[in-house]
Amino acid sequence: MNRVHVTKTILWMLTGLALAVALTRFAFGLGVTTNLTDTTPWGLWIGFDVMAGVALGAGGFVITAIFYILRQEKFHPLVRPAVLTALLGYIAVILSLLVDLGLPWNIWHMMIYWNPHSPLFEVGWCVMLYTTVLLLEFSPVPLAETSRWANIRRVLMKFRFPLVLLGIMLSTLHQSSLGSLFLITPFKSYPLWYTPLLPILFFISAIALGLMMVSFESLCTSWLYRRPAENNLVARLGSAARWVLGFYLLVRLLDLKISGNLALIFSGNWESWLFIAELLIMAIIPIILFSIPRVRHSATGQWIGSFLVVAGTILNRVNVGGLTMVGTTGEYYFPSWMEVSISAGIVAALALVFLFAIEKFQIWETRPREPESDPHVQPAFSRGGQTWLGSPSVAGRTRYSLAFIIAVAIGFALIPAHKIDSSGVVDIVAARALGGDTLFVDGNRDGFGVAFPHAAHIKAGKGKESCVGCHHMNLPLDRQSGCYSCHRGMYLTADAFGHDWHASAAGGNVACVDCHTRGEDRTAATARPCADCHKDLMPEGAAIKVNTYTVPSYADAMHDLCIPCHRQAAATNSDHPDLYRCPTCHNGKSPDWPTLAGRQPWKRRLNNHNILPVVSAGIEGPTP
Amino acid sequence: MSIAILTDVTKCIGCAECVVACKQVHGLDKDLPRVWQKNDGLSACSWTSVIQRPGNHYIRKQCRHCLEPACAASCPVGALHTTKSGAVIYDDQKCLGCRYCMTACPYGIPRYDWDRRVPYVRKCILCFERLERGLQPACTTACPTGATIFGERAELIAEGHRRIKAEPEKYLNRVWGEHEVGGTSVLYVSDIDLDFMAYKPGLDIALPTTTKKAMESVPPAFLGMGATMLGLNWIIKRRQKLQGQSEDKED
Amino acid sequence: MKILLEFARGPLFRLTFAVMVLGLARILILDIWGMIEAYRRAGDKNIPWKLTMIRTVEWLFPVKRVMHHRPLYSLTGILFHIGLLTVPLFLFAHVQLWRSGIGFGWFTLPRLWADILTIMTIVMGAGLFFGRLGHSKSRVISRKQDYLWPLLLIIPFVTGFICANLGVAPKFYHLVLLTHILSAELIFVLLPFTKIAHCVLMPLSQIVMTLAWKFPAKVDEDICVTLNKKGAPV
Repeated sequence: MNRVHVTKTILWMLTGLALAVALTRFAFGLGVTTNLTDTTPWGLWIGFDVMAGVALGAGGFVITAIFYILRQEKFHPLVRPAVLTALLGYIAVILSLLVDLGLPWNIWHMMIYWNPHSPLFEVGWCVMLYTTVLLLEFSPVPLAETSRWANIRRVLMKFRFPLVLLGIMLSTLHQSSLGSLFLITPFKSYPLWYTPLLPILFFISAIALGLMMVSFESLCTSWLYRRPAENNLVARLGSAARWVLGFYLLVRLLDLKISGNLALIFSGNWESWLFIAELLIMAIIPIILFSIPRVRHSATGQWIGSFLVVAGTILNRVNVGGLTMVGTTGEYYFPSWMEVSISAGIVAALALVFLFAIEKFQIWETRPREPESDPHVQPAFSRGGQTWLGSPSVAGRTRYSLAFIIAVAIGFALIPAHKIDSSGVVDIVAARALGGDTLFVDGNRDGFGVAFPHAAHIKAGKGKESCVGCHHMNLPLDRQSGCYSCHRGMYLTADAFGHDWHASAAGGNVACVDCHTRGEDRTAATARPCADCHKDLMPEGAAIKVNTYTVPSYADAMHDLCIPCHRQAAATNSDHPDLYRCPTCHNGKSPDWPTLAGRQPWKRRLNNHNILPVVSAGIEGPTP
Repeated sequence: MSIAILTDVTKCIGCAECVVACKQVHGLDKDLPRVWQKNDGLSACSWTSVIQRPGNHYIRKQCRHCLEPACAASCPVGALHTTKSGAVIYDDQKCLGCRYCMTACPYGIPRYDWDRRVPYVRKCILCFERLERGLQPACTTACPTGATIFGERAELIAEGHRRIKAEPEKYLNRVWGEHEVGGTSVLYVSDIDLDFMAYKPGLDIALPTTTKKAMESVPPAFLGMGATMLGLNWIIKRRQKLQGQSEDKED
Repeated sequence: MKILLEFARGPLFRLTFAVMVLGLARILILDIWGMIEAYRRAGDKNIPWKLTMIRTVEWLFPVKRVMHHRPLYSLTGILFHIGLLTVPLFLFAHVQLWRSGIGFGWFTLPRLWADILTIMTIVMGAGLFFGRLGHSKSRVISRKQDYLWPLLLIIPFVTGFICANLGVAPKFYHLVLLTHILSAELIFVLLPFTKIAHCVLMPLSQIVMTLAWKFPAKVDEDICVTLNKKGAPV
């Protein structure tokens, strides 16, 4: 194993993990795979993949501008890698959008349904057009490998300058429009980041990031393939970046000064520290580093400088994209491991394409090679037939594919089955009601509940014989087994039948036919009803009939039990016409119960109520 | 005409008949507490809800149907749009699921079908189909106490002010929704402060104007950048040519 | 025990099943890829396609070859394969699990048939083991794993049969079920990496044999370079 192999193996594993997660996301939806919520509808995929991904692709337009427009011919070695990175970056953005969009198959709707007032509309169009432009800009490189499409290549080469110009114009638009996206949230964004100048700030920082991203990637590939880096060019880029960053810093601070929010930087809350950290990482430290000629020309200095700008700008995009809204929304969001793995997987997959391209096509002056792709190494044997077929690169192929499938399998193994099964329903276990003559029914023990006048109900139901009107008699000699013992889930149905216990009590597997019909497949459908043995379950006059082995959720069972009687009573008793309405029980007027879990009784919530199909009269009412 | 709903918080008894009616009319599923849900009762299956505040105050929460809705301005495909009557409605045939509307809403109203494979944005649509049939919205019809009523926006604002004037000691002197974010079609009169309903109280600008300026400068920026680049290119080309000539002369 | 069982039939099952499916797909693709490369580099591109195809079909459905050599042993093998494939795929209880897991199921065997096939598979598996052990020529070409495979393959059948039919006290029931699941999962994991991979590679074996005898063009020069004897005569 060597550097290239280790790197590619890791990249393949990340890709595999992301593939498994992506399949899960498309099979089960966004809710159970991400940590996104109604309050935080945009998360890592928008904040990092889209916002930062587009910014990281800025290298393409910056370098082509330097080379073609400003005619700085010495930057030629960096043009092809920059355009390739930009192309792959934009493909990454589109891929992650496909994962993030709720209805990704409608992504083309932007072409036919127009809303030019929306910044996102503009970003979408520009990304589509610019990706096409990048594809046309880059395609002469692979086309040079074959003479078959020489004509197409010639045409593309002829249109290169207008294409580059168009690319720069489009980039100007959407790099800035990504900032415009958040102009519409003045109510949520923290003032240190919110400014009408967001689009301009985004554009300037994209230029600086573009310069540094090209440097960073030149350094990365030179490390990976032990190739001499373009240190002189990188130093020049660093020198240019420091001016751009300086200008950016100036505009940003001046803007804060004018809007009067400058003092917020020193307010000491976490936002202010985040702001300081962001500016230090993305601008101030790099400017200092690149201002020292010795540091600017040293490989280490270039590594640190370019990495800081890249990391800092990503941080900036994440901050604007949602992190700094947390203070207003009050809801904390941290991406789930599945979101992270998709982000990482898309980057890894595109990195693999990048490595493939620089090995196969004329991207750098010399094509770097996989160390084992030399045809004159000892042959490897294929596993299946124990015969050697093909080239020695079989070794690499075998290793990567193994890494890939193991990662996919691990991805499947890690899927949170419980969250998927319950469709994101909060799993709360119900608990026993408290009290004496008046019971406090608080199934999930969070202090919100209902005061139930038990004694009054017994009296109204005419004594002890009325118990069966509400209670199951599911245990032998039982008069009032607790509801929570079977209706365990506060909101989810539960399986109440102890199959193993019954099998054991009846004498193991030989006793199956005691309940299941002989000769038929043993399912719930072929089994005898519970009441066949448990006659107590349904005594005469019982209100509740048990037909299934699953029991409704606690909340449903309670509502089902109370509402019909209350409705009936309301209809017959004109004194209490509102007896069946929600506030009758959820009224906040119940006796002073000891505050549970530190909450006040008045907070008994009306929300999260599982409204049952209450028949309400007169919805087709009079016209206004 | 511009229609509106006026909710009088002092009259609401919290019976949630409006919620039930809404669910029935739109055929919405049963609600379950989900991990992604905000704790205000709204969800993809509940387009309106009743919030209880200390001291038995009940406030009905629903889409405010802004006169200049941020959600509609932000939607890239125009899936959210305003009808002639003023209802902000959603076209699920157009939607692509970007959820920009949810980010842009100053009241945090739109909800998402997070648990569905084919998810849509869900929120109150002011029963626009019923309005076309000449009916009232389901919620105002169902309200047993007349706490939430339906009518012309101008009339309801006047009605709100009339109530405040009639009982100034009972009400706070403000009709919520008259000016917020450029005015909304869902109005409130109340005896308690309702500012907690919005992310940022007192935000009286129409949100679409914030992006409008940026969007209007898009074409000039596009062409300006092109012209600048061409100009720069021309100058540099010429300079390099001259330089080359002078170098030739020196040789 | 319950937790262990949940783990074995939850994450561990997904892991091992995915390894099996993807692993089999992987070796299939790798082998086809290798074959295409071998064909492209071959100096002699005359492949007897038709003959290879006929031989492949003959080996896939070995009706003709059964009586050729050690007919009883061959027949045992064929019956073993039939049971091995049908029972796990079409057992009612298994399909029921798929139904609850992925939402749909398929044709199932009647209970009686499933039981008969299971017993047959167990017996045939034992037969294969002893057939290999008891034959001197087989012993010569056998490795250790060749003896172990029939034994490992019948473990899930034995345990499955016990779980479905015989009276086991619930305490042992879980243990037996766990053995059933874990042994099946062990088979899943080993499948793509051992000779059992023939379940997908079998149709390719004839063409691989043919291609393996096609030397790449100019292979002699390459060999000399590899052995650091450039220019030496072959």
